[in-house]
Amino acid sequence: MTRRSILLAMALGSIAGPGWGQVRVPRIIQQVIPATRQGQQPQLTGIDALRADFLARSGTDTILFGGDSTLLGLPTKNMLALQAQWLRQHPEVVVRIEGHADSVDTRNHALAIGARRADEVRSYLILLGVPGAQMTAVSMGKERPVPGAANARAVVTLVR
Amino acid sequence: MTLRPLLLIAGAMLASPAAAQAPMPVIAVPPLSTPADKPVGGGQTTLGVAWQASQLIAADLRTTAETLAIPPEQKDYYSYPEVTAPTFSRWRAKGAKGLLTGFVRAQPDGRLAVGCYVYDVEKGRELGRTGFVVDADDWRRAAHRCSGLAYQHVVGAPGVFDTRIAYVAKTGSGAAQVTRVAVMDSDGLNHSYVTAGDTMVLTPRIAPKAERLAYVSYAGGKPTIQIVDLASGNQRALIQGDLTSFAPRYSPDGTRIVFSMVNAGNTDIYMVNATGGVPQRLTSAPGVDTDPSFSPDGAKILFESDRSGSQQLYVMDASGANQRRITFGGGWYATPEWSPDGEKIAFTSRGSDGLRIGVMNADGTSPKAVTSGPRDEGPNWAASSRELIFQRTDVTGRSGIYRVPLSGGEPRKITVPQDGSDPDWSGTRE
Repeated sequence: MTRRSILLAMALGSIAGPGWGQVRVPRIIQQVIPATRQGQQPQLTGIDALRADFLARSGTDTILFGGDSTLLGLPTKNMLALQAQWLRQHPEVVVRIEGHADSVDTRNHALAIGARRADEVRSYLILLGVPGAQMTAVSMGKERPVPGAANARAVVTLVR
Repeated sequence: MTLRPLLLIAGAMLASPAAAQAPMPVIAVPPLSTPADKPVGGGQTTLGVAWQASQLIAADLRTTAETLAIPPEQKDYYSYPEVTAPTFSRWRAKGAKGLLTGFVRAQPDGRLAVGCYVYDVEKGRELGRTGFVVDADDWRRAAHRCSGLAYQHVVGAPGVFDTRIAYVAKTGSGAAQVTRVAVMDSDGLNHSYVTAGDTMVLTPRIAPKAERLAYVSYAGGKPTIQIVDLASGNQRALIQGDLTSFAPRYSPDGTRIVFSMVNAGNTDIYMVNATGGVPQRLTSAPGVDTDPSFSPDGAKILFESDRSGSQQLYVMDASGANQRRITFGGGWYATPEWSPDGEKIAFTSRGSDGLRIGVMNADGTSPKAVTSGPRDEGPNWAASSRELIFQRTDVTGRSGIYRVPLSGGEPRKITVPQDGSDPDWSGTRE
């Protein structure tokens, strides 16, 4: 971890609480939750049902970082604890952890930062008892940006 | 003798700002000659090829920011014997500094002999000559070599006419984006795709003599370096194992490749024989060490590291010893590449106002912006050390490849069939 990123994380943790490790609610939850409230069970099966359940119980599949930082903030760790709990209960499920970086970064540095972010998330989930074989980590660098959104992120996706 | 500087000053005072730069040397390119007009297949004759070759040479010289060319005119045709005994006075009168003459001759085996001579018009003496025997449909390469001969003698640096450009061709966007490694001659001809587009690819890097290239592929699920032989199309992984590897670059002699590899989240620089084998680790600092590039003599490696807290440029011996930081200007510097003449370093500067291309001295001093950004990155030197190629992304996220002369002037977009990124310019082919 670089000195700058540590300083950045400290600064963000102390003054920018809500923006740090902030939780984005994916569209699929927005769709699923109202349906459940109205008493209509969503017609999801197989991997789609598992994905919806994973998102509903852990809150999000996306972990946000600050600037070039690769450190996990406290709110992020709380969220990953929920993901870890779910993954331990579903040992048959395999997830792919993608690390991303912002388009203001240069291509190869972004690949390295994305790799670090994916590895940080995977290592933390292992620390919380998720078997390493259940998770792959890959860097997408700045090659798959979400337009208009923060791309300093890692995304946990169920693959099977 | 003493009047001369005075006249130059007077001229400079009268000249407009654009013309105040050093005048570009003019090279005259009269039509190439032929001893006898013979058919060469495809409805062509040696006289036709000679005419097209001289037009191509003049066009080559005009693409540079360092030379002007007097294009071929029928009335300037030299007979075959005159090719080696040209008149200089009329080229002197036209203000030419250099003169290129040559010939195209049919060989008994159906191939073509192409010869070129470059003269100093003022002194009336030969500066150099070159000659090739080529297949009839390969005369363009011979003509490009003639352009290079003229450029070399008049400008004093290798030309870029017989070089190739590799880049990533892109269609679509997001998850539907298709990326393919593509290669072409530096004038845009002989364009072909090296990968099929079924997997994401990044950063092709051409071997010094353009016979193969290294690139990064997601075919195995994560980024790894692949080597492809351009003649046969054969592909192989550079190294064994499933660690993420990227940012490959060949040594100037083509025998070694430096690259980045990620182990337990940490990105370091490694070196391996270009034919494969066990990589040797060169850096071990925490943080990201990437974008390595050899010095022209192969003895040192320039790279980028954020070990200090921001992206800065470092130099080390090719063994990994004596790592030292060379940039202290206060900005962030990334993607360094040493110029082929060893004098300069091109880089991407990263700031709050975006990414732009810059050049600094090889010791890290005097960084200067070359482009205005805001999303320009990945500069790569022309063989001449006078020009850079780079990637520019517009506000909509679409990217193109551009070339920009260091002598000044706006970047010029290179025409390719789709969007382009990650350009890499080869050295002069043998």
